[in-house]
Amino acid sequence: MKKVFLMVLFCAVNVLPVMAGQITLGEQLQLTEVTKIYEINAEPEKYLGKRVRVEGLIIDVCSARGCWVDLASDVPFEKIQVKVVDGEIVFPMEAKGRTAIVEGVVEMLQLNEEQSLMYAEHLALERGEIFDQSTVKGPMKIFRIRGEGARIL
Amino acid sequence: MKWRRFNAALHRDIGYLCIGLTLIYAISGLVVNHISHQFNPSYTIERNETSVQPVAAPVRPDIDMVNRILGQLQETGEFKNVTMITPERMRIFVEGNTLDVWPVTGKVIEEKVRQRPLLYELNFLHLNKSKGAWTWVADGYAVLLAFLAITGFLMIRSKTRTRGLVLTVIGFLVPLIFLIISQ
Repeated sequence: MKKVFLMVLFCAVNVLPVMAGQITLGEQLQLTEVTKIYEINAEPEKYLGKRVRVEGLIIDVCSARGCWVDLASDVPFEKIQVKVVDGEIVFPMEAKGRTAIVEGVVEMLQLNEEQSLMYAEHLALERGEIFDQSTVKGPMKIFRIRGEGARIL
Repeated sequence: MKWRRFNAALHRDIGYLCIGLTLIYAISGLVVNHISHQFNPSYTIERNETSVQPVAAPVRPDIDMVNRILGQLQETGEFKNVTMITPERMRIFVEGNTLDVWPVTGKVIEEKVRQRPLLYELNFLHLNKSKGAWTWVADGYAVLLAFLAITGFLMIRSKTRTRGLVLTVIGFLVPLIFLIISQ
């Protein structure tokens, strides 16, 4: 009995670090087909309201509540934001620099000029950056993914 | 009366059982109540600006350049990844640090992230980040807290009746008044 216990403990200790590498958050991933992030950015209306599976490098994580991540696109200098419900999914800060597979629904935020200024200022605060009002030109349409499940590799 | 003794014993023993979890939820509750962009209850986030020797901006991230930059900054964290955020800005990810580098000017902004010792673990439990089995433990604790409240109320006796009732009513009034004021 003691030998069995020690064996199980030995296996667990060795398996746990491997298991700890991947992080699973939210709902189980269902889709098999991956949609390229640049395709969503190029034709966002085509994907609006649709559930998609995307993969990308996590280049930024919300530093307050872990409630969003930015995923780098396949096209240089492009990205897409994955927003989750506060508390339902919390992206750890350690996720930065790791690859994520995310499933969720493409949504659109339509902001008037005042809302756009507030949104941009809020983002700058979260990123620890200085807010430059001149970067906001007017009303904005923001396309992002409402994340429902994620796996961080 | 016998039921009073039983009630007191229940209150005492459930109280003992709840000491650990109450301290966890109390400490974590205090800190997460103050989440803001300037305060993350689970991590310390330190941003600072520094510089490295300027070089030409790469078209693609260059691992040799990355190693030279990390060497100049004496950054020993395990390398995770690198990408170009803009044509002028490279972002290097290492364990515990994210470095934004402008190669042409040599400007570097570092964001060092560390888990807050103990607080990270307390918040992990309080906020149920692992989900799964801990959800049941947290639910069980909530039920025990309700038991404590009820058994505590039933401990009001004739000697302490007025004080007990007044304090209980105040305990209900405070959240009620806040709710009314904030509507």
